[in-house]
Amino acid sequence: MKTVLAPVEGVAVPLSSVPDPVFSAGMVGPGTAIDPAREPGKAVAPISGKIMKLHPHAYVIVGDDGRGVLVHLGIDTVQLKGRGFQLLAAEGDRVSAGQPVVAWDPAAIEAGGRSPVCPVIALDAAQESVTGAVVGGVHAGDELFQWE
Amino acid sequence: MSERKVTVGAEVGLHARPAATFVRRAAEAPMDITVCRASGGTTANGKSILQIMGLDVRQGEDIVIRAEGDGADEVLDELAAIAGAP
Repeated sequence: MKTVLAPVEGVAVPLSSVPDPVFSAGMVGPGTAIDPAREPGKAVAPISGKIMKLHPHAYVIVGDDGRGVLVHLGIDTVQLKGRGFQLLAAEGDRVSAGQPVVAWDPAAIEAGGRSPVCPVIALDAAQESVTGAVVGGVHAGDELFQWE
Repeated sequence: MSERKVTVGAEVGLHARPAATFVRRAAEAPMDITVCRASGGTTANGKSILQIMGLDVRQGEDIVIRAEGDGADEVLDELAAIAGAP
């Protein structure tokens, strides 16, 4: 059992409500999403481990057990090519769960015409292995779901 | 062992939708599927979204997809089409 933390503050919502079928249909994997608070914030590591991939708009942390969690900051935000995101860590760094990874402003993403909603995905996980997903208000670092 | 060399066509590279579509198709295949850059380096399990994301292939890069066994050519043709799609 692995506890996955909320990477950002906001309202936890089901993946099915994410306005991108790649995520809403569970194609990338099971998990949940957070509709972030519309204020500048720091997205944190959802688990402890190594930053396997760090893009301005998305990152993957892999734990010592080999399991990886993807955090995607907003939808179609790859198109921003990093504008509006500030990296607070580097690819390959070891981070603790709750440690800041990227600073961003969800309000600015939304003002640019994109959804700032953040899918949090258990990679290579069976759909039924994600349980206890929180729905409703969360702070960064709160428990978000369990990965069995 | 059969293989296909393909240039990744999507603007986002082998990430997001192309990666998810690729892995979903690969996972349906009975045999092992591997992916690596044509230039060499790390070999990824084609059925692992984590490993495909980790490979971090960008648009315009060449990859080699390999599989062995009955039906390998058909699977490889489909995977090459997914990876090469714009």
